[in-house]
Amino acid sequence: MRAASKPGWIEREGRPLLALSLVLVVLLAALPIVRLVLAALGGDPPGQGFARLIGVALAARTLAALGETLLIAALSGAAAILLGGALALTLALTDVAHKRLLAFLIVMSLMVAPQVAALAFKALAGPGSPLLNALGLAPPLGTPNPMLSRGGIVLVMALHHAPLAAIAIAAGLASVPRAVIEAATSDGARPLALTRHIVLPMIRPHIAGACVLVAIAGFGNFGIPALLGLPVNIVTLPTLVYQSLASFGPTIIPDAARLAVVMALVAGLGVAASSLLARHSPEPLEPGEAMLPVCRLGVWRWPLTGLVWIAVVVMLLLPSAALLASALVPAYGMTLTLETATLSRFVEVLLRQSVTSRALVNSLLLAGTAALLLAALTPLVAYALTRAGRRWITPALAIAELTYALPGIVIAIAAILLFLKPLPLIGISLYATPAIILAAYLMRFFALALKPALAAMSLVDRAQEEAAAIAGAGLCSRLAYIVLPTLAPAAAAGGMMVFLLAFNELTVSALLYSAGTETLGVALLSLDDAGLGAEAAAVGVVATLIVAAIMIVLDRLAPWLPPGVLPWVVLAGAAPTSARR
Amino acid sequence: MLKSITRAFGAAVALAVFAAHPAAAQEGKLVLYTSQPNTDAQQTIDAFKARFPKVDITFVRDGTTKIMAKLRAEMAAGSPQADVLLIADSVTMEGLKKEGLLAAHASADVSAYPAGIHDADKTWFATKLITTGIVHHAKAPFVPTAWADLTKPEAKGQVTMPSPLVSGAALIHAATLVGTLPGGWDYYKALKANGALAAGANGAVLKAVASGEKMYGVIVDFMPIREKAKGAPVAFVFPSEGVSAVSEPVAILKSTKNADAAKAFVDFLLSKEGQELALKQGYLAAHPQVDVPAGFPARSAIKLMAFDAAKALAETDANTKTFTDIFGQ
Repeated sequence: MRAASKPGWIEREGRPLLALSLVLVVLLAALPIVRLVLAALGGDPPGQGFARLIGVALAARTLAALGETLLIAALSGAAAILLGGALALTLALTDVAHKRLLAFLIVMSLMVAPQVAALAFKALAGPGSPLLNALGLAPPLGTPNPMLSRGGIVLVMALHHAPLAAIAIAAGLASVPRAVIEAATSDGARPLALTRHIVLPMIRPHIAGACVLVAIAGFGNFGIPALLGLPVNIVTLPTLVYQSLASFGPTIIPDAARLAVVMALVAGLGVAASSLLARHSPEPLEPGEAMLPVCRLGVWRWPLTGLVWIAVVVMLLLPSAALLASALVPAYGMTLTLETATLSRFVEVLLRQSVTSRALVNSLLLAGTAALLLAALTPLVAYALTRAGRRWITPALAIAELTYALPGIVIAIAAILLFLKPLPLIGISLYATPAIILAAYLMRFFALALKPALAAMSLVDRAQEEAAAIAGAGLCSRLAYIVLPTLAPAAAAGGMMVFLLAFNELTVSALLYSAGTETLGVALLSLDDAGLGAEAAAVGVVATLIVAAIMIVLDRLAPWLPPGVLPWVVLAGAAPTSARR
Repeated sequence: MLKSITRAFGAAVALAVFAAHPAAAQEGKLVLYTSQPNTDAQQTIDAFKARFPKVDITFVRDGTTKIMAKLRAEMAAGSPQADVLLIADSVTMEGLKKEGLLAAHASADVSAYPAGIHDADKTWFATKLITTGIVHHAKAPFVPTAWADLTKPEAKGQVTMPSPLVSGAALIHAATLVGTLPGGWDYYKALKANGALAAGANGAVLKAVASGEKMYGVIVDFMPIREKAKGAPVAFVFPSEGVSAVSEPVAILKSTKNADAAKAFVDFLLSKEGQELALKQGYLAAHPQVDVPAGFPARSAIKLMAFDAAKALAETDANTKTFTDIFGQ
């Protein structure tokens, strides 16, 4: 006799919530991809879309840009993994001093926008560097700026993405159980052997994930090649799309869509690789307490601390000083001395030029709205997908991850295609309004906010939920009183990451901005384009200070947030007090 | 009857007086799309706002090709945002005029200007004379005085210039030089053989020379002259063969939603007051009676090369292709 099957969660109560979640996933993740493919395969005459796609993909300019992009992504990715991995291992396994501060500064160098980092490094080198000139170390006049080269792009990208790798690997190190380490040390294992034979194999999936992460980040990066490559005609795929669109206007959109599809395919390969690697990851061990630093450095403690400080100085403090120096001179190219130093450029960009002050407000509002919306919606989506089961969560997450892996330029092109014509039913076009930038941000950062929420679903106590359900609480009450409060810190963390990334964002808004909707990144690029280097540097300094302020506020709130939420806390490893046993 | 005629006459005079003061009447929103640098665009709209406080004027700034791309994208979507255009070059304006996208401003007062400087059909009007010459670093090994100096061996690998793909002025400059210098495109081939770099817009050239990365650059006049006044280590030279010029024309788009304010904007820019704004901003004003800015030689000393906007429009694609073929972009 067949046993009657119990109605699943979907049948019982989950249909509306699941439908809402799927609508969101389709709108924010699937729609851009579908629209791009349609545009890439369409055009006149019909039926030859695929041939046209191949034509663009194999054009000389495309292949050159693709080769350049892959080379830069590979080189910078490798360097980023090495540097980031070394930093993560040092902070987690040894007892260097100042861990919290160092981790904070390392993550801050990631939060500084790529275009600001490019500007800062450009100001650091070359014969015009105010810092080098003040120290008398500047190269002779007439020598090109070494940062304006493929090597410069690789260096700046590697330094910029190293924290990404460090955070990913640190998350892996945090999952290594203390019991395993203690067992090994009590068996007589030396720290180096321990790392090689136990720790590294255990975090292999995290290392692989970090490799894919930095490769995709390097592949889709726009700000650094735009500022360091375009002035010397080094073109990557993202800057090729940007230049084509900027030079030829909407007639080029179908071709830009084809380039975007090429980029999406390459990015898709990366995502496929990452999921393949995840499938072969070893069985996760029973999570116990996180491991403690195993390596007592003794006499090597301060030298190694010094080395990490040198890395932080090179990654963040030195370029920031160079950027500040370029913002304090009245005109680009002047030497910074006590006589020439002035705050006039800051006054100019903050008070006199309405474009920059408007851009600041725009960035705050757009990034804030996107962060709030995603922080509010992703817990619901995470809950619905988790309760609905593997069958729903796997494809939804895959699509969301694919859209997240797409370079920002691709999302921007998709947004233009989707919103150029007036929307059906409503009849208003979102093009040239702030709404199109907001929509593009939601698409771009959806997966970024979804992942912490999904991860936090494991904290939601199923038993507690079921007890509440038995007591008569409906779905809405259970969401409001049990699930959402548990997910709230992770959602807030996801929202915070979205805000920080969207605030300084350039790639998407560079293609979508219009009269009055400039963002901070666009303002900086536009000032740099107009030759107003000192003003551009002033904007960069202001943007960095805002990011630093927000991070400091979040750091102060750390005691109230669950572990694993703030990246620099994870990177810093176990608290120093518990290491001193 | 005499009384009613006098009254009617008085009313007509009063009306005429009112009509002659349009400053009070203009209001509403006005959107300006411009390729001027941010600071200049801000000053322009500030000055206009001071004269016409009821008009809510805003601007969008980008390189000419980019701002035109934006404009065309909006037109394709059916919702153009701009009312007035103030872009670098007359060739682009000619193109827009040919497509019927510009509105003529028949009542514009151009009596003070020499012939040939504005569009004969009054669809676009020159506002400045922005010449392209040579900038050099203060500590450059030699001071160039002619275009030919940039092909000398002493300048090898030290010359940078804007790309016509990004800068309207660069495209016009190329068309002018090719039409005037003996040998046409051979000059550019010689530059390329001497290691010249063509990339980016005028801003990039200024940054490269000001920072000492390149010693010489081809650039528009106001940028280095203005930055030098602020203290930057650069100097501008008007070469002996002559200079090309772009006139930064202003035009009203046919799709404007505020024709009155748009016409007031054009009239303002063409008036002596508007032209003296150009002087204050450091440009050579198109109005022949306005003084030259500090750092410029007298008008008689500036030799302008001849330029045909319609011919340049027809040859735009060919010129762009030849340039990119030579410089390999």
